[in-house]
Amino acid sequence: MMHDIAVLGGGPAGMAAATEAARRGARVVLLEESAAPGGQVYRAPPTGFVVPADADSRVGDALRAALRQSGAEIRPGCRVWGVGGGPLVPQGMAAAPFRLDALAPDGQSFAVEARALVLCTGTHERIIAFPGWTLPGVLGLAAATILLKAHGVLPGRRVVVAGAGPLLYAVAAKLLKAGAEVAAVVDLAHSREWVRALPALAARPDLLARGVAWRAKLLARGIRVMAGAQVSAAAGGEVLERARVGDTWIDCDALCVGHGLVPATEATRAFRAAHRYAAAEGGWVPVLDADQRCSVPFLYAAGDGAGVRGAAAAPASGRLAALAALHDLGMLPDHAAARAAPARDLARAARAGGAMARMMALRPELVQAIPPETVVCRCEGVTRAEIDAACADGAGDMNQMKQFTRCGMGPCQGRLCGETAAELVAMHCGGRERAGFATGRLPLRPVAMDALLGDFDYADIPVPNAAPI
Amino acid sequence: MDVIAKHDRMKDVAHTLRIAGISRPADVTFSFEGTSLSAPEGENLAAALIACGIRRLGEGQDAARPRVALCMMGVCQQCLLRVDGRLAQACITPIRAGMVVTAA
Repeated sequence: MMHDIAVLGGGPAGMAAATEAARRGARVVLLEESAAPGGQVYRAPPTGFVVPADADSRVGDALRAALRQSGAEIRPGCRVWGVGGGPLVPQGMAAAPFRLDALAPDGQSFAVEARALVLCTGTHERIIAFPGWTLPGVLGLAAATILLKAHGVLPGRRVVVAGAGPLLYAVAAKLLKAGAEVAAVVDLAHSREWVRALPALAARPDLLARGVAWRAKLLARGIRVMAGAQVSAAAGGEVLERARVGDTWIDCDALCVGHGLVPATEATRAFRAAHRYAAAEGGWVPVLDADQRCSVPFLYAAGDGAGVRGAAAAPASGRLAALAALHDLGMLPDHAAARAAPARDLARAARAGGAMARMMALRPELVQAIPPETVVCRCEGVTRAEIDAACADGAGDMNQMKQFTRCGMGPCQGRLCGETAAELVAMHCGGRERAGFATGRLPLRPVAMDALLGDFDYADIPVPNAAPI
Repeated sequence: MDVIAKHDRMKDVAHTLRIAGISRPADVTFSFEGTSLSAPEGENLAAALIACGIRRLGEGQDAARPRVALCMMGVCQQCLLRVDGRLAQACITPIRAGMVVTAA
């Protein structure tokens, strides 16, 4: 069946986009990787788990309920590995409907087709390499949020929380509440950066109040908060035992560390949409118009995957994308009136979200400080020295560096090492624009060969008749 | 070799890492590297192993890069394990009764 609109990703942007389009009568399908829609901030707990409600869970539940009632077809637990159609057709052929290839939860492969495609693929975490970052016990800050909030498990008993942005204080407060010891909060930002962000946060008094409550909780418990500081190394035997800040080693059994969020642009890159480098929005982002349209006709991007603006801004951008898609498909006569409310909501929420995103932007000094022998690409075991050597040998951008070293060719496909590697290449070649990004390739996610092959058998390979002798 | 016996068993497993105040399904048993463990049915496998005091999920390709749960959202591929023989990311795999988990 041909859908009007396919939505890839069921976080706040994707849920709102699918809901808006389906309510207005479009045939909509939403594909989501997790077992339930929600995304990372509004992640639903596992089936059978009942987690006490909080502000985030109430917003998430409301978005999920609206989605369920909208009539959109919801396909959770699906791993989308292929994109096609649109401009990805043989040269000279007209653009085709979009196609998403996916694996269902039972491992069966299937495809959906749609006339318009809204990408709401969210972000992943930036963790800049440092000595000891591969030790068990070191995990991401966003990872810690998921572990604590969705799964209800502590990452350790004595925890160092380090990195940038509001997640630091959210994780530290949650750890304290759940009974863990917070050995230190190590904030890359100086206090003055938080002060500068205050006017923008004033647009969202709810977020500001929550932030103040988090900080107050830490102060009341006498937690060491180190501002303008970073964890420069982690050490231990088989697992993490301590983290280093300046000249001090802090004993800990878990280190939650995150250096910001990076928009997930695998799909827009695969479609060869135009991108621009915007450090304050998390990195490379698709070029969009005011209604979330990409440079590729009938392709839209919304939420943090289109530039980090936070979960609060995501639904409005999702709705804008859905309305633009409906309008472009000829299914929405009064687009101007319909877009007014979400455009206003987006502008308001994006102000606070943008201030937080700027605080989480990549800090080049972290990359400059990486020692030569530190592993940057964990999948392929590529060190900083090897990347530097490749650049010295003439690798002038990310694709060349990747071919020289295999950095980014492992199963994470550059999602974990990409930011560090790109910054290293940029230091040699003169900036992130010149360093570019690794070309988007399929599969978008690692996928088992037998799942792709399905029923296809050796005997199905066409063998031409032998030429007569 | 038994990964758990060899290294990573957190010292004080008596004090649970599972946060109180959450209602969870009944425990089921599964195995990791030949050791029988229990966790609530449907709990995330990476979270369950952490709660069991196991954070070193395998030796990986060299000593500097052991298998660990790092991103918890299916992105980084560092928590690859074998579940009933098939490669799987621990952080997106739910616990099922009788599941046989081995290092990848």
